[in-house]
Amino acid sequence: MATAMISEHIPDLDLITTYAERQNSLFSRVSPWTKFFMLILIVMMITLTRNLVILAALYWLILLVYWLAGLPVKKLFQWYTMPVVFVITLVGILAWTEPGTAVLAIPLPGFTLTLTDNGVLLVITLLLKALISISFSLFFLMTTRYEYFSGMIYRLFPEPLDQIFLMAYRFLFLTLAMTGSMLKAVRSRGGGLIHSIRVQGKLFAEVAGLVFIRSFERAERVHKAMIARGYHGAGSYTAQTKIPSPGFAEYGILAAAVLAIIVTEYVFPYSGGFFL
Amino acid sequence: MTIIRRDPGSPHCPPVDPEKELIHVDCASHTYPDGSVGIHEMCFSVLKNEIVALCGPNGSGKSTLIEHLNGLLIPSQGDIWVSGRSITTGEKTDLWKEVGIVFQHSDDQLFAPTVLDDVMFGPLNLGMSPEEARASAMDALVAVGAERLIAKLPNYLSGGQKRLVSIAGILAMTPRIIALDEPTSDLDPVHSAMTEKLILDLRDRFGISVVIATHDLDLAARIADRVCLVKNGSIFAEGRPEEIFYNPGLIEEAGLRLPDTVRTWLEFCEKQGIASPDRPITREHLVSLLHNALS
Repeated sequence: MATAMISEHIPDLDLITTYAERQNSLFSRVSPWTKFFMLILIVMMITLTRNLVILAALYWLILLVYWLAGLPVKKLFQWYTMPVVFVITLVGILAWTEPGTAVLAIPLPGFTLTLTDNGVLLVITLLLKALISISFSLFFLMTTRYEYFSGMIYRLFPEPLDQIFLMAYRFLFLTLAMTGSMLKAVRSRGGGLIHSIRVQGKLFAEVAGLVFIRSFERAERVHKAMIARGYHGAGSYTAQTKIPSPGFAEYGILAAAVLAIIVTEYVFPYSGGFFL
Repeated sequence: MTIIRRDPGSPHCPPVDPEKELIHVDCASHTYPDGSVGIHEMCFSVLKNEIVALCGPNGSGKSTLIEHLNGLLIPSQGDIWVSGRSITTGEKTDLWKEVGIVFQHSDDQLFAPTVLDDVMFGPLNLGMSPEEARASAMDALVAVGAERLIAKLPNYLSGGQKRLVSIAGILAMTPRIIALDEPTSDLDPVHSAMTEKLILDLRDRFGISVVIATHDLDLAARIADRVCLVKNGSIFAEGRPEEIFYNPGLIEEAGLRLPDTVRTWLEFCEKQGIASPDRPITREHLVSLLHNALS
């Protein structure tokens, strides 16, 4: 199997799926539905609260669960690069507009740029929210076998969305493998080193263009193979796997999570600050 | 059977014989949208319970012919008859029910998230209920010896396993003919032998006629009942393997190389000064003849 790893900082679909398929931790035996509903509750929780202490506690709890499941924590931190860059790009400017106590002032001709404590906390809060959702999503993906995942997609999404999702996943594997082998070929001939931005940009544009063309050709071949088996455009494609239902203990955990959200919302309602 | 030579330009296709033929192709030409001619003056038929090998170099038109058998391509001029019925007057959809194609690259064929889902795809298109399709898929997976793979992702299968699952995906549709494009081209020797045995099983256990497109003449020599030599989009000679492969001129004309067994025997006879009437095409037969000659 060709590795699809393009960069250390981009989540490796092959590695994620390998963990999902091969790991046998307690968390991999938890019903996929439980993990799915837990993800929804976590998203609700981080949407409702801006409390930094609660967010930090939740983040550490998820990190602990991730580690207990035997998943690669170092890799997780490497994969954080993209979301961190994304959040900072978005919030980096907002942080300078938050009122509060100044922690950094940069005098410029005509005005002074001031970073306040609230500005810093805003960045940290939003970063935590992003990392919580990403960490738990990866935990969900890496502890749930794809046959269950595809079964859930088939049951949750209406046609043709389910068909698109199910086919896209396999296609993504093939495209990533193709990209990986092309980059290997480039590196094997001394490419990939940063000679100049122009050369590097041209090189990656060429690889991206080839990936696009070959993906298109492959899509045509896949479509032809589907027609050869009688495909006529309508949904004849099903995901048949039976997904394990949650046990009593899992219902209890979900109920506790719902209770935690309610308590957080009513006991510590948002009052404009970042702390209790 | 003797070698049938087909000279381009002469009307050569015999009439359709629904008693013997499962499928009959009389394609005067197939032209691709870009104007290139895929096949021309192609006369080809598949009989009941036989393995036919289409042998020719890359780009000779083998794959184009296979796509005609399944209805993926339709002759620009000419017709195809399935069990005596012309597809130009019948339903095109009948063809994929009668003829299954196993593509050269299994990755093009296996698109579903799990093996079971992929093998069920064809039966569901045939109109089976999910339960029937599941049962049919399981039967096919058992038949190819891949039942333990049902929950696997195709991405995590080896090349040989992917090939077995691809064949199961077609077998689950219970076609009368299965066409395999380069069935062993990218397989290791073990999986190549497994695929070879499976092709023989398709004929012997399931009564399915098999068409293989290959430039591996050793494979064709081992398993084919009939060999068709394809060149420049047309079949120019066909016959039994021992007739075709002991005609070095034909093989050279096709742009191919004699099978190892045949080459070894011919060189042996030449060096020993033997003029033997024997024509071994399998390794077992060759070993037996060499043993006799040397003892």
